[in-house]
Amino acid sequence: MSDKLINISNISKIYKLGKVDVKALRRIDLQIREGEFITVMGPSGSGKSTLMNILGCLDTPTNGKYLLEDVDISQLNDNQLAAIRNKKIGFVFQNFNLLSRSNVYRNVELPLIYSNNNLGRKKKVLEAIDSVGLTDWISHRPSELSGGQKQRVAIARALSNDPSIIFADEPTGNLDSITGEEIIAIFQKLNKQGKTILMVTHEQEIARHSQKIIYLRDGLIGKKEKIDNPIDAEDHLKKMPRIEDRVN
Amino acid sequence: MKTFLENIKVAFQSLALNKVRSFLTMLGIIIGVGAVVAMLSIGTGAQNMVLENIQDIGSNLIIIAPGEQDQDSGYEQMLGMQKQDQLKIKDVEAIKRQSELIDGAIPVILSSSIASYLGDNSKVSIYASSREAEEIYNFEIETGNFYTDSDVANSSNVAVIGQTVIEDLFGKKNPIGELIKIDGKNFTVIGTIKEMGTDQFGNDQDNMISVPITTAQNKLYGLDYINLILAKARNEQVIDSANTEITNILRKEHNLRPDESNDFTVRSQTQILDIVGNIANIFTITIAGIASISLLVGGIGIMNIMLVSVTERTREIGIRKAVGAKNKDILIQFLIESVVLSISGGIVGIAFAVIVSILINNLTVLDTSVTIFPIILALSFSSVVGLFFGIYPAMRAARLNPIDALRYE
Repeated sequence: MSDKLINISNISKIYKLGKVDVKALRRIDLQIREGEFITVMGPSGSGKSTLMNILGCLDTPTNGKYLLEDVDISQLNDNQLAAIRNKKIGFVFQNFNLLSRSNVYRNVELPLIYSNNNLGRKKKVLEAIDSVGLTDWISHRPSELSGGQKQRVAIARALSNDPSIIFADEPTGNLDSITGEEIIAIFQKLNKQGKTILMVTHEQEIARHSQKIIYLRDGLIGKKEKIDNPIDAEDHLKKMPRIEDRVN
Repeated sequence: MKTFLENIKVAFQSLALNKVRSFLTMLGIIIGVGAVVAMLSIGTGAQNMVLENIQDIGSNLIIIAPGEQDQDSGYEQMLGMQKQDQLKIKDVEAIKRQSELIDGAIPVILSSSIASYLGDNSKVSIYASSREAEEIYNFEIETGNFYTDSDVANSSNVAVIGQTVIEDLFGKKNPIGELIKIDGKNFTVIGTIKEMGTDQFGNDQDNMISVPITTAQNKLYGLDYINLILAKARNEQVIDSANTEITNILRKEHNLRPDESNDFTVRSQTQILDIVGNIANIFTITIAGIASISLLVGGIGIMNIMLVSVTERTREIGIRKAVGAKNKDILIQFLIESVVLSISGGIVGIAFAVIVSILINNLTVLDTSVTIFPIILALSFSSVVGLFFGIYPAMRAARLNPIDALRYE
């Protein structure tokens, strides 16, 4: 296996809107190494969502090649993509996307239900919940949790099947700054433990917590900025003004 | 397997979330299944009862009734418009003399009269016949004797009485040798008949007095004809030939020309059994028709609600797909949900039918019985309905694009 976890070359995505072809991505090349924490930034319409959908195996490119752990997945069918999403990818969304009728445990267990491996399921779920610090909330439903807690459940769900990479789409977009910073702290902790993370955000401040920022504009990759000294979220949290009666 | 159980659990959860909606959706199935199981249990009960009665009398019995009974004359007969005086005692004698295939034949007059004893009156059924009735009609004598051939020859005023008559007129007193009045005429009680219970129409067969046929003709009703002839074939194999033989004897006896139709009807118990079987079949087909219509309506209800459910849960489907659910997984989840919905309806329907059946059993003379067959049938039908009408909504759910589904508000 090469050291590149993700290697896309010459990827294009063209949507047909009536008679007009909309080129959402134009011949993009991008490599992500194992253990990297990368942010994608760009204005709306720049193709970030399309890129994330393709990288997240929710969509396939019109042209080009996408290697995920040396497997060419640009030509896979729906079921094969579902299996890849299940085993190799963890998603964290801006609006959490939890099952409202299921409790924390059931939500985190969800990816494991769809993988055929039932061995040690309970242990994996409990570990994932513990790693985001929600062990005390295990039987609560999402409606009983704060925004930050919901996002932590989503992170635990993304972790439960031990994926190769975590895709976080605006993970702090619906959170206040302190809660957002706490979520980023969890990502940094996971990254230090070796997890590869690709995040999309609007906020420069949030982006500066990662190791590299890729700017996307009009379906093309603009500049790539390497962050020499990423902000440490734990440190940063200590300097932030505390609101004493804040709920978790 | 674990996923399957998981799916059933999810199905119950989502049904429980919309209890009223789920119940209303199930109602079609509940009514359909309930009606079928209840009606079949009543039908089985009624059929058993008729068969039992026929078995009681004996399946070798041949019944000869006056007039030609076909579908056209049935109504006239019911309205009493047709003459019924074609059968005479001498016809019975002719059959007994000439037939080689029967063991015996009896004349019967059925009527009702007022019986009284020491001022107590009671309305009773009169069953007038000859000495052989004891054997052919299976009367079991409890005390005393049945009337004899000489009683019949002399038109004796003797009576054999049933248990209800004893209760009504004598109470605990021994009736043998007592003098009773039937329509004002004096009769001596010479015997009592053991309890016979009710017939298939709920009539009390014990509220009965049997007198010699000639006494009924000459002293009670002033008739020269009889209502029925009962004949007993030697065995079940010769019943059909015995029918033909009796028909020929009676045609000769009545001097009918070859172009004239019979002025009597010969029926055997097996023919009656056939008729009962035919009625049961028509009943079953009718029930099946009603059942399929109501299951169809119930199924459409399920499809409708499943389509709503798929739309409502688009985002859930998106989430499940994003974390790795295959199209097949989503399809199965929604199929299981619709099958759970329809089978739950089926089970409630069966429970409902069992209650109705027990009520009918206790409140009427019908001995209803819920057998395992209609229950299995109802359950398999309702699961087929759930599968069939669930497949389209489930396919819609399975085909949803995860990106669009996740974005659905």
